[in-house]
Amino acid sequence: MNDIIELDNLSFGYSQNLILKNISFKVKQGTFLAVIGPNGAGKTTLLNLLCGLLAPQAGSVKVYGDDIKSYSFRKLAHKIAVVRQEFVPVFDFTVEDVVTMARIPYLGTFGFEGKADRESVTEALEMTGMAAFASRTLAHLSGGERQRVFIARALAQNTPVLLLDEPTSFLDIKYQVGIYDLLRKMQLEKGKTIVAVTHDINLASQYCDEVLLLGTDNSFYIGKPEEVFSQERIEEVFGVKISAGTIRQKKFFIPLGKFAKNTDTALPDTD
Amino acid sequence: MTKILTAKDLAIKVLIALAILAVAMFFCALAGPQKISLQKVFAGPASVPGQNTDYEIFVGVRLPRVILAALVGAALASSGVVLQAILRNPLADPYILGISSGAGLGAITAVLLGISWSFWAGSPITIFAFAGAIITVWLVWYIGLFAGKSQVTSLLLAGVVVNAFFSAVITFLISIAKSEQVYSTIFWLMGNITEKDFSVLLAGGISILCGIIALLSISHHLNALSFGDEEAQALGIDATKTRMIVFGIAAMITAVAVSLSGLIGFAGLIIPHAVRLVLGPDHRQLLPISAITGGIFLVIADTIARTIVAPAQLPVGVITAVAGGPFFLIMLAKYSRKVSWLK
Repeated sequence: MNDIIELDNLSFGYSQNLILKNISFKVKQGTFLAVIGPNGAGKTTLLNLLCGLLAPQAGSVKVYGDDIKSYSFRKLAHKIAVVRQEFVPVFDFTVEDVVTMARIPYLGTFGFEGKADRESVTEALEMTGMAAFASRTLAHLSGGERQRVFIARALAQNTPVLLLDEPTSFLDIKYQVGIYDLLRKMQLEKGKTIVAVTHDINLASQYCDEVLLLGTDNSFYIGKPEEVFSQERIEEVFGVKISAGTIRQKKFFIPLGKFAKNTDTALPDTD
Repeated sequence: MTKILTAKDLAIKVLIALAILAVAMFFCALAGPQKISLQKVFAGPASVPGQNTDYEIFVGVRLPRVILAALVGAALASSGVVLQAILRNPLADPYILGISSGAGLGAITAVLLGISWSFWAGSPITIFAFAGAIITVWLVWYIGLFAGKSQVTSLLLAGVVVNAFFSAVITFLISIAKSEQVYSTIFWLMGNITEKDFSVLLAGGISILCGIIALLSISHHLNALSFGDEEAQALGIDATKTRMIVFGIAAMITAVAVSLSGLIGFAGLIIPHAVRLVLGPDHRQLLPISAITGGIFLVIADTIARTIVAPAQLPVGVITAVAGGPFFLIMLAKYSRKVSWLK
């Protein structure tokens, strides 16, 4: 009975095309859920519905049992923090400035941070390993470091729920694993409920408790990664041939293009 | 972690800036073609009017003018700060975006129509200027939205177009106006600070200060808004509503500044940028310090304008444009490179 996010028959579309149709699922407290699907399946749209930026055309999103529409932006910011793809802001804010912004939903008029706010900021900087960069501006960081700054900000926001939109795209494999390790640590140590949109099937099945696989034809599958991910289903949803293998009891999926240099004997020859 | 801004740090910085402003105002009030002796000024008014002319010039002529310059500078600089934040564009400025000329068109319409009713020192000129300013804000914003995704340049282009159009209308209005109105109007258009009554100063000062204080109360939201609407909303800010409030207040203080002193360009661009270089982009201190620095800047610029060709006087807009034009070009080059990797 500790469902934090609850989607009930949710539908959303732009003009007449429904991108998401009759989606229902629940996210339990402390779950790490990955949202996976091909481009255009509505992953980011779903994330925007979960953070109240978009309103569903039919159905509802409930956060802690209350309809998301009943929340003010400020109240919602106490429950849900959002991390989007990293970018360089227009003005030269430092790492510490950016992380401190997380406290805005807790400040009054003429807002200044108090002691508790500073402690949250310091803790977030330390947990994400960004304390040493505190006085650098974002333009002087690599993409992976910047992504950590935005995650640190979400952490300093002290919300039970964390939403992330493709946190690892454009990052090299070291930073990708680093970000997922950090998210897992936040889940385990802080009890955060995490929903992350991602393209990476293998990272998702390595790190996440549950996955939501969205198809472009309004289909969706939710469950444990082992249940949801099968070679046939991934081939069907993504429309690409897959080579599946097992390393230490974990299934891995590698896409195979037509002209890929392929020496893999495990490839099922369907032609 | 001592770098986070506290209210006490800010209060100290504001007091220091205010002290510098006071000193600048005092010395600029002393400067001028007519030499004034300090001793006589401090001696106070003479029992018979006309005996202590030094005091009368200082209090009756120079001081109001210096106060006006400080008010207008503060209004333009704070308007520049907040426009730059909500438009996420370091090149925004009430003059460049055409808001000043919108206000100017409103004001000049009121003057030429000869509307003369007034209430509580709020002249129809200010009301018309405000209407012109607020219409321009929305016009530029929507043209910018339609013009393309890269808002940094499309907004500037929209501002340039609106500016050119309004200037043409203003020129047309002047050319059909009665000749005695023309000279003062043209001088006013170039940005002209003249001696005003204390009642006018008081009304203008109160509206400008109220506007700045209102902006100050939401200045921490401007930090988040400068990251874009989605980011601001994730931090609990109603981006659409906040932007409308900020646009409204910025248009209001710009309109008051324009109706007091005409079109003064670039103060809203140079000052925020300079302050940001020194103190960083946190709007909670950027806004008040820019407002005060804007005051200092315009007090000095106006003193130069009225002394450099004495006994004749230049419009202060000439001084700010000469300083601001090249500055704008340098910044345009700098940020055009940066724009390509903005979201």
